[in-house]
Parts: sequence; structure tokens; C-alpha cells
Amino acid sequence: MGPKAFVMEYWRLILIVAFVGGALVALFIPGGIVADDSLAGEEAEVEDRATNIEYGLGLDGGTRVSAPPVGMTADNLEIEHDEQRQLTEALLAYEYDDADLESADVRVRFHENDNRYTAEIFSDEVSHAEFADALNSADIGLEVTEDGVEDGVTQQTRDSIIQTIELRINEAGLSGGNAYEEATLGGQYYIVTEVPGMEPDELRELLSDRGDVRIVAFHPDGDGGQANQTVLEGQEIAEPGVASYDDQRDQHYVPVTVDGTEDEDGNSPASEYQNSMNELGFTGEGQGRCHIQDRQAGEFDFDPDDPQWCLLTVVDGDVVDAHSMGGDLGDNMAAGTWVNDPTFRMIVPTQQDAHHLAVNLQSGALEAPLDFSQEQTFTVQPSQAEQFQLYSLLIGGLAVLTVCGMIFLRYRNPKVAAPMFLTAMAEVVILLGFAAAIRMPLDLSHVAGFIAVVGTGVDDLVIIADEVMDDGDVSSSRVFESRFRKAFWIIGAAAATTIIALSPLAVLSLGDLRGFAIITILGVLIGVLITRPAYGDILQRLLTDK
Amino acid sequence: MGYFDVPEIEYSRYSNRQLAAVPLALLAVALLVLSGSFLVTGAPVQLGMDFAGGAELTVQTTSSEAEIESAFDREPDSITTIQAPGVDNQYTVQFAGVEDQATIQGLSDQAEANLEADGDASIVQSETTASASFAQQAQQTALLGIAVAFLGMSVLAFLLFRTFVPSIAIVLSAFSDIVIPLAFMSLAGIQLSLGTVAALLMLIGYSVDSDILLNNHILRRSGDFYESTHRASRTGITMTVTSMMAMLVMGIAASLFGVELLASIGIILFVGLAADLMNTYMLNVSLLRWYKFHGVRS
Repeated sequence: MGPKAFVMEYWRLILIVAFVGGALVALFIPGGIVADDSLAGEEAEVEDRATNIEYGLGLDGGTRVSAPPVGMTADNLEIEHDEQRQLTEALLAYEYDDADLESADVRVRFHENDNRYTAEIFSDEVSHAEFADALNSADIGLEVTEDGVEDGVTQQTRDSIIQTIELRINEAGLSGGNAYEEATLGGQYYIVTEVPGMEPDELRELLSDRGDVRIVAFHPDGDGGQANQTVLEGQEIAEPGVASYDDQRDQHYVPVTVDGTEDEDGNSPASEYQNSMNELGFTGEGQGRCHIQDRQAGEFDFDPDDPQWCLLTVVDGDVVDAHSMGGDLGDNMAAGTWVNDPTFRMIVPTQQDAHHLAVNLQSGALEAPLDFSQEQTFTVQPSQAEQFQLYSLLIGGLAVLTVCGMIFLRYRNPKVAAPMFLTAMAEVVILLGFAAAIRMPLDLSHVAGFIAVVGTGVDDLVIIADEVMDDGDVSSSRVFESRFRKAFWIIGAAAATTIIALSPLAVLSLGDLRGFAIITILGVLIGVLITRPAYGDILQRLLTDK
Repeated sequence: MGYFDVPEIEYSRYSNRQLAAVPLALLAVALLVLSGSFLVTGAPVQLGMDFAGGAELTVQTTSSEAEIESAFDREPDSITTIQAPGVDNQYTVQFAGVEDQATIQGLSDQAEANLEADGDASIVQSETTASASFAQQAQQTALLGIAVAFLGMSVLAFLLFRTFVPSIAIVLSAFSDIVIPLAFMSLAGIQLSLGTVAALLMLIGYSVDSDILLNNHILRRSGDFYESTHRASRTGITMTVTSMMAMLVMGIAASLFGVELLASIGIILFVGLAADLMNTYMLNVSLLRWYKFHGVRS
């Protein structure tokens, strides 16, 4: 028999052997098949495990929090490029009934790809009508109605939120976490964050910090009172450092470098900061004159008796710390040389504050806050997850054993039953290998899918066996082929219905069930295309004694 | 002895009406149960936390069940003891239909505060929560999923057989296969969860398997009606009973181990497949026999 004839004769068997072989490589050889990291999180999770299978949260421990971003959007605004700023200012200046918006809560965007403008407000205290009214108040000819405002935020905002969250998770020193968005039926989007080794409360805290950091100058207004002025915003800091401690001065701080990139007028955030410090008197008479903070009690006195020059570190609207301009720093600024090396320390009361501040500076502000009143959470302790791994194996094993027992009882012929069992196992191995190759993290729902695959697989194998052994004798391979084709029609039709029945679940975002549907559909496809035809081949060879 | 043989059913002894009466009566009873439950409670089946909002906690504690029950501000809907090998003092506590988000978020703190720790193990081993609005959305999504799946299956059935009676037989039997386990859930107090929805969708797939097999043997093969039916049922009953056994074992094992998702899938599929046996070999056979002997044929 020539090699070509050999392949023609045994192609079904060659196919199944090749797939099982490939699956085993993907499963057991470390780094066996190069795959991208898109589905799994960080590489760091891969430890010395027996297999290359990735486990999801349910089988590995960790927390998942899903919540939609807060906000509303007006799309397709008819404005010019130079009117964006005016519109932003009008939105901020508008008198809302319940809300007091800060600059981070308003965003006017130009979308280059499709050449349109959108405006967003990230607050749940503004009504659609107010938003429309505020847009129209900008005096640039907008006529937006209440119906022109939609709940939800733009794709860019969601992308930015996801990016910020991922940075924050990494900053917090947690590997293997990730964030992604999930669409619901109503067109709403949930931001889903998954982190191993964190409690829901901690994760919620990490996510609920807006992370808007700014430095506000608290200075005499010249009329005997005090005034506030924002002098530096978080995004103007180019290189935030890590949380540090100075044991000589007993200070917790984060070293920062202010952005020194000059615009066309020769100004940079650093030079503007230096100028405002000089103008407001911080570097002259105000040096060392800030006594509004009671560090022991952690309280501030914003109605001081004598003039104060304080730099307030403000995170999400809360004053964290107040301190004066230091001597060396002040002198450098007064001399105008600070701008050449624009670094300083942001001092905070505790180590925790420093850590928080560093994370917020690193990750930037969360573009829009998340609405935790609509959240869904899931958390499993690692020990419990490990138990679930064992249970899944036990439950799956028991189910398979039952199937085998039934098959042996029914056919009483090991020639029929043994290959049936082996074929069903081959399906599971190929599917596991596939999951390992694309690094799909497995969860309990996937385990349910595996069991469902074994179930439908055995159904099909029974159909093939009964059909092929119809009337006992399978003498010629021509008879066999025709019977096999008949059986295959039924199997194909049944597979098509299973795939149709489960495809909504694979597309819709119904949490856990997506994994179940995907594995089952994949399993049915692998079964119908590869393993179940091979079973027919094996059966023919065993029964016709060829 | 000990072997599993498929019995030959003497269909010729029963009229079509007799055969169809049992499954149709059961379907009617099931619909009655569901509508009764809908009138009384506002939902055909009890909605679990996935669809009504709430929380599910797995706690490890040396406190007694009664103590667990009183540890929370809100009375739990159910407390299940987990009986897995090597695991003691683990319980699953469910709260369904909680509207207030702060209440949901506070449950794990209450567990930590009011329950006795079992050695070094964390008290809250796992927790799933869903806010009311998230659950509402999940409910709509699940309904749509089931509707689309059912519709797709029906269209496919018509495409495969292209004749009215055999196709409608498949659709009717699949409908009944879903409604009967739903009524069973309603009576047995099993809550509708993501797992049970998955099981119902799987049922559509499984139930159609045996129907297609039967239709195919009777309509597309030459030979005597009773002979074809017997062959189809021999294969079909083997399939379905094998799956039923696997699901039963999985359902029992998973519920002992406290793996909710697998337990509900197993139990619902077991009940649904039992209903499918009856529907396929009584309802469908009678419809097909009527079609074969009396129906209009082109």
C-alpha cells in the first residue's frame, strides 16, 4: 500500500490521532504551544503545574466585580473644533439642581474616525433635561432635546476606565488580574474586573476611588480671608514615584516630577506651577507658614486667624494633607531654576495614604466612576477553589464512569463499548488541549460543558453503533459506508440543533453560562467533525475483521 | 440478569388517542402548575439570586445551622450543608430577592462578625452577589436566550423534515420537555438559576436528538412502521437512559459537594430527559402513526 492509499484509507484515524497528539502536547509540555496572552492574564500565574490548563476565578480563587460606569452622553453634536472648550466651560458653569460638577465630571470629545463630537457628564445627579439644557446654554447654536441624551458613556471613556483599572490592579501588586467590558441586551455596558487574591470590599475600594489628584493653593485673598486655587492637576505630573518614607523627617511621601514639556509659547506645566507659586507668595513671605493641619487628630482648620500659605493635596475632593512650601524648594522657585529639574515631594500623613496616592498618580484618574448599586460580584477563597478543582474531577469522573457502565451493560461487547469509551475520552482530551492552547481559563461552567459534551458524544456514538450493526452483519465496506452516512445525517442534524440551542448563550452576556455554551459548542463540533467519524472507522475495522 | 435491555413496546395495542393522552395530560398539569404559581407568587418558578438579586455565601463555621440563620439581619432563604469528602462545617446560605444593595454588601461582614471561625479557615469561603438591576437584566437576557434557542430549533426542525406534522411533533415535544421540568422545579422549590437555564437549553438539544432519530427512521427509511419505531426506540432509549443516569450521578454528587451549578444542571436534565422519553415514545409516535396512516401525503 502506497503512502497515498494509506492516507486515503485511514484518514479519519490519522486525524483523531493527530488531534489527540496535538492536544497532549498543548496540555503537558510546558509552553508546548505558543499562544497569545489575550485570554489569560499575566504570565506570572503559570507555576509548576502538572498541566498547561489555566484556571478561572471559580477554580483558582479570587474576586470579580462587574458594574456599569456612571454617566450620560449626547452624541453627534454640531459644533466646531474651537467650540469644544466653550462647551466644556458652559457645562461646568450650569446651575444643576443637585449636582456640583468638577472638571473631571465633564468631557467633550472629538472622534476622529467618524468625525463627530460627543459630550458626556459623569454624574448620576444630573437629569437628561438638565444636561440638554446645559448644552444649549453654551451659546454655540446647539439645540439638544432631552431625548438626544442617552444613558451610558462613550467607547473611549470605557476604554480609558479599563486601562486605568488594569494599571491600578498592577500597581497594587496583584498579578493575573484583568478588566474588560461586557455588553448587555439593553445596550448597557458593564466594566468587569477580575483579580485573584482580593476580597470584594478591597476591590470595590480600589475601583471606587476616582483617583483625581490635584494640588490646591490655600492662600490669603488680600482681603483678610483665604482663597483656593488649583495649581497642579494629576495629569500634569509626568513621573510619579513610589510611596517612600524619610526617616530623618518622619515623613511619608511620593516623589513626583512635574511635566516640563513646553508648548509653542514656551510654557510648561512645570513653569506655570513655578510662576503661580511665586505670584501667590508661597516662595516669599509664605514660606513655612502653614499651620492649619492638626496631624495628631487628622483635622484641618480652614478658617485660620492669621494668613496661611498652604499647599493642599486633594484626592477626589478630600483634603489629604496641607503643608507649606519648603525652604530649598521655595528658594529654587523664587530663583526660577526649579523648572530645570521640576521635582518635589507630595507629603501625606500615613504610609497607606502614600501608597494610595502613588497608585492614583500612576494609574491616572478613573474617567468615569462606576455605579456599584448595579454591581454583581463573585468571590472564592483559594482553598475553596482548590476543592472545586477536586470536585469537578470527581463529578466528571463519576459521570463518565456511569456512562461507561451503561454502555457495557447495553452492548455486552467490548469491541463496541471499549472504542466508544476511548472516543469519548479523546473528545475530552482534544477539548482540554484546545482550551490549554488558547489559554482559555477554565471554570465550573466549563466543567459542566465538558460533561455535556461527553453526554451528547455518547448519544451520537450509540446512534453510529446501532446503525452500523443493524441486522448483525457488516460484511462489505460498501454496506458499512451507506449505513454510516445514514447515521451521520442524524448526528449532523442533532449537532446542528444543539449548536443552535446554545449559541444565544455563547453570545449573550449571561455570566458563567458563556463558558458552558462555548465548550459545549466546540465539543460538538470536534465530535462531529473528528472523533465520531473515527469511531465509525474503528468499529468497521473491528466488526468486519478487515 | 443485570444487563440493560430496551423493552419492545407493543404500540399496536394502543390507539393514538390513548398514547397521546398521557403526555398531553401531563403537559396540561405542568402548565396549570406554572400558571397557578404565577398567579400566587408572580413568577412561574421561584427566581434564584441570579434573576431576583441577592447573595449566596459559602461559609465555613463551627456555629450551628440555627446560629447561622440568626447571624444575618435578613433571614436566609435556604441553608444547605455541604457533604463533601474531607470537608466539615461548610454551609451554603442563599438570599434571593434582596432589593437593597447595601444589605447585599453587608451580608459577608455580618457572617464574619457573627459566626465562629473554624480554625484558621476564612469564614466566607465564597460569595456571589447580584444587584436587583443586574438580576433584572439577566432575567431578560435568559428569556431572550431561551426564546431564540427554541425558535432556532423549530426552524431547523422544519428545514430538516419539510412536512408539518413531523416537524410540529418535534417542536411540541421539545416544548413539553422544557415545561415539565419547569413545573417540577416549581413544585420541588428549586430556584431558577443560571445553571437551570443552561440545563433547559441543553434539554432542547438533547430532546431533539431522539425526536430526529425517530422521525428519521419512520419517514426516511423503507420498512414497516412498527419495525422502524422499534429500531429507533432501541437506539433512542439507550441514549436517553444513559444520559439520564450520567446526569443523575452528576446531580447527586454535585449537590453533596455543594457545587450548585453542576447540581442544578444534573437534576433538571434528569427530569427533562425522563419527560423526553415519555414525549418521544408516546406523543411523537402517536402523531407520526396518525401522519403515516391517515395524514395527507403529497
